[in-house]
Amino acid sequence: MSENSEKTTHFGFSEVPEGEKAGRVQGVFNSVASKYDIMNDVMSMGIHRVWKDAMMDWLAPRPGQKLLDVAGGTGDISFRFLGRAGHGHATVLDLTEPMLVEGRKRAEASHLADSLNWVVGDAMSLPFDDNTFDVYTISFGIRNVTRPQEALNEAYRVLRPGGRLMVLEFSQLPNDGLQKLYDLYSFNVIPRMGKAIAGDYDSYQYLVESIRNFPDQETFLGMVRKAGFGNAKYRNLSMGIAALHSGWKL
Amino acid sequence: MSEQNQAFDRRMLEVLVCPMSQTSLDYDSEQQELISKSAGLAYPIRNGIPVMLQDEARDLD
Repeated sequence: MSENSEKTTHFGFSEVPEGEKAGRVQGVFNSVASKYDIMNDVMSMGIHRVWKDAMMDWLAPRPGQKLLDVAGGTGDISFRFLGRAGHGHATVLDLTEPMLVEGRKRAEASHLADSLNWVVGDAMSLPFDDNTFDVYTISFGIRNVTRPQEALNEAYRVLRPGGRLMVLEFSQLPNDGLQKLYDLYSFNVIPRMGKAIAGDYDSYQYLVESIRNFPDQETFLGMVRKAGFGNAKYRNLSMGIAALHSGWKL
Repeated sequence: MSEQNQAFDRRMLEVLVCPMSQTSLDYDSEQQELISKSAGLAYPIRNGIPVMLQDEARDLD
C-alpha cells in the first residue's frame, strides 16, 4: 500500500483518508449552495459583512487589477473587489459547480458578467499559468483545503511579482475563557440554526468543527511565509474569531 | 437565459492551463472539452464552466 493511501486528514473532528476530504467538502457545499450566503449572515449575525469590508479596506483594490478568488463560491468577494476597484477582472474558482452557477446568475443580473470568469478547480493544483494575477483572495475557504500549505504555494506561483495574497478565515480567540464561550455558542447554536434554515445539521456541524481545527494566527502566518510570501502580517477581526493574513510576492 | 445554454468564453484560454502539466489547452467546441495533450486528459466544459479537475477529466487514448 502506498504511503498516501494511509494518510488521513481532518474532516471536522473526524479523521478521514486524505483522498476523501475534497469529495466530502464538496458534499457539504453542494448541499448548502443556494442558502449559503443567507446562512453566513445568520451564523455570524451579519458580522461576516464587516469582516469582508475590513478585508477590502486592507486590500485596497485598484482599477484594472486581475483577481483570482479561490473558493470564491457565489462570487461575494469578487463582486466587492470589482465594486471597489471601479473596473477590473475577477476569476472565481471553486470545487463546487452549483455555487458558481448561482454566482454567475447574480453576475448577469448585475451586468457584471463580462468582468468575471467562473472555473471549477482545486486550490492545490490551480489551472493557471505562473505570474498571472495581481491579487489572490481566499475567504472562508482555506480551512476546507486538504493541505493548506499546498494552496498557499500555488497562490505564490500564480501571482505575478508584486502580487498580493489575502486570506480571510475563522481563527482562534486569544484567551481560554472567550474561546470556551465561543465554542459553547458555535457547537450548540450554529448546527441547529443550520438545520432550521438550510435543513442541514451535519454540514454546519462540520463547519463548526473545521473552524476549531484550523491553525491559529501565528502558525498560519508561518505557513504564509513558508510559501515564499514577504512582508507577511495578520490582523484579528472581532478579537480573533476571524483573522486576515496578508503577504506579498516580492 | 437558461444556465444550460451558456457558451464557453474563449478568452479564458489565455489564462487556463492543464492543472496537472501546467501546459496550454486546446478547445474542442464540438465536444465542449479542453484538451491537454501532455497530460492525455480532456477536461469537460459544463454550462460554459470549465471543470479543471483530474477526477472529472476523460483519459485520451
